[in-house]
Amino acid sequence: MMRVDNFSVAFSGLAIVLSALIFVLSADFYHNEEKHISDYLAILVFTLCGAMIMFSFSNMAMLFLGIEILSISLYIMAGSKQHDVRSNEAGFKYFLMGSFASGFLLFGIALIYGATNSFHIGNIAAYVSAGQISPMFYVGMLMMLVAMLFKVAVVPFHFWSPDVYEGSPALVTAFMSTLVKIAAFGAFYRLFYLCFFDSLNYIVIILGVVTAATIILGNLVALSQTNFKRLLAYSGISHAGYLMLAVMSMKTGTASAIFYYASGYGIATIGSFAVAILVFKAMKSENIEAFNGLGKKNPFLAAALTMSMLSLAGIPPFAGFLGKYYIFSEAIKNGLFGLTITAIITSIIGVYYYFKVILAMYTKEADETSVQSNIAYTTIIIVCVSVSLLLGLFPDKLMNIF
Amino acid sequence: MLTDSSLIAPGMLIPLFPLIGFLINGLFGKYLPKSITGWIASLAVLASFCCVFYMFTNLPSTGSLHIDLFNWIGFANFNISFGYLIDPLSITMMLVVTGIGFLIHVYSIGYMHDDEGVTRFFTYLNLFIFFMLLLVIGSNYLVMFIGWEGVGLCSYLLIGYWFKNDAFNDAAKKAFVMNRIGDLGFLLGMFFILFNFGSLDYAEVMKQASLLPVGSALLVTITLLLFVGATGKSAQIPLYTWLPDAMAGPTPVSALIHAATMVTAGIYMITRSGVLYAMAPFSMEIVAIVGVATCLMAAIIGLMQNDIKKVLAYSTVSQLGLMFAALGIGAFASGMFHLVTHAFFKALLFLGSGSVIHALHGEQDIRKMGGLSKYIKVTFITFLIGSIAISGIPPFAGFFSKDEILSKAFEHSKIIWAILSISSMMTAFYMFRLVYLTFFNDFRGTEVTKKHIHESPSTMTIPLIILAVLSIFGGFIGLPSVLGFAHKFQQYLSAVTAPAQHILDESHAAEVSHSTEWILIFTAVIAAIASILYARYKYISNKEQPAEDASLTGINKMVYNKFYVDEIYETCIVKPLKVLSDLFLVLIDKLVIDLVVNATAWVVGLSGRTLRLVQNGNTGFYVFAMVFGIIVLFVIRLFI
Repeated sequence: MMRVDNFSVAFSGLAIVLSALIFVLSADFYHNEEKHISDYLAILVFTLCGAMIMFSFSNMAMLFLGIEILSISLYIMAGSKQHDVRSNEAGFKYFLMGSFASGFLLFGIALIYGATNSFHIGNIAAYVSAGQISPMFYVGMLMMLVAMLFKVAVVPFHFWSPDVYEGSPALVTAFMSTLVKIAAFGAFYRLFYLCFFDSLNYIVIILGVVTAATIILGNLVALSQTNFKRLLAYSGISHAGYLMLAVMSMKTGTASAIFYYASGYGIATIGSFAVAILVFKAMKSENIEAFNGLGKKNPFLAAALTMSMLSLAGIPPFAGFLGKYYIFSEAIKNGLFGLTITAIITSIIGVYYYFKVILAMYTKEADETSVQSNIAYTTIIIVCVSVSLLLGLFPDKLMNIF
Repeated sequence: MLTDSSLIAPGMLIPLFPLIGFLINGLFGKYLPKSITGWIASLAVLASFCCVFYMFTNLPSTGSLHIDLFNWIGFANFNISFGYLIDPLSITMMLVVTGIGFLIHVYSIGYMHDDEGVTRFFTYLNLFIFFMLLLVIGSNYLVMFIGWEGVGLCSYLLIGYWFKNDAFNDAAKKAFVMNRIGDLGFLLGMFFILFNFGSLDYAEVMKQASLLPVGSALLVTITLLLFVGATGKSAQIPLYTWLPDAMAGPTPVSALIHAATMVTAGIYMITRSGVLYAMAPFSMEIVAIVGVATCLMAAIIGLMQNDIKKVLAYSTVSQLGLMFAALGIGAFASGMFHLVTHAFFKALLFLGSGSVIHALHGEQDIRKMGGLSKYIKVTFITFLIGSIAISGIPPFAGFFSKDEILSKAFEHSKIIWAILSISSMMTAFYMFRLVYLTFFNDFRGTEVTKKHIHESPSTMTIPLIILAVLSIFGGFIGLPSVLGFAHKFQQYLSAVTAPAQHILDESHAAEVSHSTEWILIFTAVIAAIASILYARYKYISNKEQPAEDASLTGINKMVYNKFYVDEIYETCIVKPLKVLSDLFLVLIDKLVIDLVVNATAWVVGLSGRTLRLVQNGNTGFYVFAMVFGIIVLFVIRLFI
């Protein structure tokens, strides 16, 4: 039912590290609001469990199980602020659309079972490479593809993510935009690499359209966002687009590039959220204006957020830069020139909205409210910033895992 | 080649001490008492001097020591190592840099004692010594270039040391820009060398160059480009105008950087590239012509200046011209010899003028001085010794080196000899004009100033005395053969200058006879004495004083205003460039580039704002969009 290999170990390790970072942030986040922090932490661990199943499944049933464990936990976490209307709305929206996608996933698995008589990915792969493929199989594969595209939130299946990210408690948003997105990509890559590898040509045009739409729309819409969480939601959509580029380059074995990119992205995003949560709490606002003058008010937090933003924007020497570099060079190796050029242009546009935050911190006037950090947050922030710097300086350590 | 490993360690330490001094003062200077920082800096330079002296006594003049610190830049087909080359030439330069550098450091302790930023001052000064040592110790052009740029930076920082004064900042910027123009030449020369010889290492470049035909276009190009660099750093026509303005810096800086060491970097560089120049006779001619012209022009301007430091500055430009003339006629060792003696007496003169300025609380106009010999005896006597030395009166240091260049010039070309001799007479005249106006007759300043005139502290007078002794006896290292001595200095350098000299000798006439040389010596000495006497007649007997600015007319006015060179540069180069850049700003930058950039940003922003509207918050619409997307995917894949 499950297979442990380098891929699953590496991604599970990354998932555990990211969850641990969020775990440390949780204690303080729910400090004065919730009665049942134990519920929240239990669900968090349960989500992690789902993610690990998604990284190591070798059976369609396990894939579905993993995705459902992850998703249902998240529906609860998104709505975990019971008295906050927007949190409730986010949880419910996510649930409605997520169950819709799950239906597609299950439908797809059923059709593939009908065509191949097996849930096991090894057997399905053998069926694909044998060449006698029935139309039913293709329909099933497309349905599974739709479900996976929904989970990784790419255009046009991205609509849930800005609303859910904005409505959920900030920490849950951090969790969703890092661990959950990486889990979805891990499962996506694993499914197509181990199972549908030989029929990749069949869907490559779909992936191309979706990828182009995602990186363009994600970056363009992010330009006009005023809410920081929404900004990161669109930023997450555009990063999903870059990761899609790596998925499309699967033929040259891009697991290490995805892993490196995901690590850099996850670490930088958690670093940003750690700073953002402190600012949100002090300023009672989640807009970009809340960051005005942070450079004067708390130079440490401002510097850390600046470095995280630079990493997300793909500026050397941070991990974000090399991650993009690896993905683009793999894409070029696979002949995806048009998409790579689009990706490079849009990532230049992306620099604009990351710098919007940096400029707010350093060039706008500050107000009187002070922003304080505590030991847990300071530690996490230092860890995140230094790891994203170290990854950028010594990429070999991660790149050689596979 | 000497392989004695015991010399490697002191060789490596030479540039390190000033760097350490720089780091200590630069990083921890604010925690240290101000009185200590000067001594730390001085000791750092003294330690370097000891290392150099050790090398000097232990390294035979035929030997050279090559130390490769690390492999610096490695590409497919070329390697540049960060290496040191210690041979008689670099040792000579380093002895001057660290020896005189140390004296000037000690002098500065007294001179700068009540300045607020004294720590910063010594930090820069140590950094300068470090870069200057790097310049002369490097074993390839790139290391030399680092030093070259570094001393330019320090020069900039120190000219503008009193940064609250805008005029001083302008002078610093001017020096920097002028030097950058020269540096571009140096840089291009280096690219040519690297491109054609595949190496920047002196030995390798010289070896490959000597295989080319004499006068080949490549060598002429390289040497002329390098010479452009030299005209910038060593203040020759057309790039000399920064040096007089550089006097804005504190006087010890003028003595160290703008008289004794940095400005001689060009001389060193050409001597170091001797083989290249010897293979390019055309460039040698250019060097000689520029040197002679600068020597004469600066001497003429020096006749009419009234600022004590400006007189010395033009004198420096003129003397540097003399050295370039020596190089241009192939007398490398003579040029180096004059470099050394000039470092002695010009440092002495600058420090002496500093002592005068110190005594008069910042007054630099010689029209407001006079009669100072009664009040500041040590300064007066040492200044007088310096003036005699630069005028070329035997047996003072300047006599031997200047005479040697003149006699070499005579055998090369009578015209060059004549112009250099006239310039030397002018030198003697303006130096004694300075001495008489400053130290003789009655004091012309205010009574208040007169009351406060005082001799400088011993940290200032002792370096003066040591430099005075060197200015008297320093010339004995190069007693000429006409007096029956072996020319020690020339012999010491011969291992370095021999290859270039060898190439030159093949195409050159024999030396002048001893009798001719005696006649030349007598002519020169008599001319110098006559100039001094004329200055005495004019300023002591007739008690003449420099005319007021407004009353000058004709040629005097032109000379007083330095031939209007600055103004000519301003109208012919600076203003047209400014107009051009304004034009580009309005036409290209504002109109074309800004428009394109802003239009792109506007389109991108608009599309972002429009696409945003799709995200309307309605779950029903989201699901509809999803279904629509799915249908599109299925249509693409299953029906097309």
